[in-house]
Amino acid sequence: MATQIVMDQNGDSRHNFDAKDAKALLKAERRFKTLTGAGFTAATRTTDGEPDVTRTFDPTAEETLFFPRLVGG
Amino acid sequence: MRLLRIANYQIGRPFAACSRWAREFCDWYQRASTNELRGRKLLREWLSPEQLAQYDEHSYFEVTGCHTGKRYRINHGVGVNICELDDAGRPRTGWCFVPNDNLVAGDVMLAQKIALETDERGALAVARNFAIR
Repeated sequence: MATQIVMDQNGDSRHNFDAKDAKALLKAERRFKTLTGAGFTAATRTTDGEPDVTRTFDPTAEETLFFPRLVGG
Repeated sequence: MRLLRIANYQIGRPFAACSRWAREFCDWYQRASTNELRGRKLLREWLSPEQLAQYDEHSYFEVTGCHTGKRYRINHGVGVNICELDDAGRPRTGWCFVPNDNLVAGDVMLAQKIALETDERGALAVARNFAIR
């Protein structure tokens, strides 16, 4: 089961989906495009745990984290 | 009897209001605590073992900028919480950049970590710096 984690005011929202299910995969890809289009950054983790920013939807990613656009504080 | 009823009403009304406010405050506080815990759990999942040990001990962790190799200390907080370190590990300059949403501390710190480790220049381009006292 793959997961998309979206940071929000409640901490985060998690969207689990079966990457083998074409319909679920399409929905996850749409969510990816919607979020990145709205300025969110998508990050995954490499096998050794290092964060990696991705700009295209990776259907094999087990976990993708989205955080809002960064601004000067 | 009538006086007693009036007195009861006069005392009871503010008491009911206070009770409602207290209940609302408790609900808000509980929600906020749950959100904070969720954010902290997510941060812990993404920290390296060294960063996690440092965070547990000091409430901060250090990251290496991907472009310059500089070290940054991310303190627990939701803003004005990043220090660039000098070669001796002493805070040199403060940096502030945050996600453009009202997020809990764990989420803010995680976004800052990922930004510095994967796009240091991009993060510092939007950041404001401040003097360390």
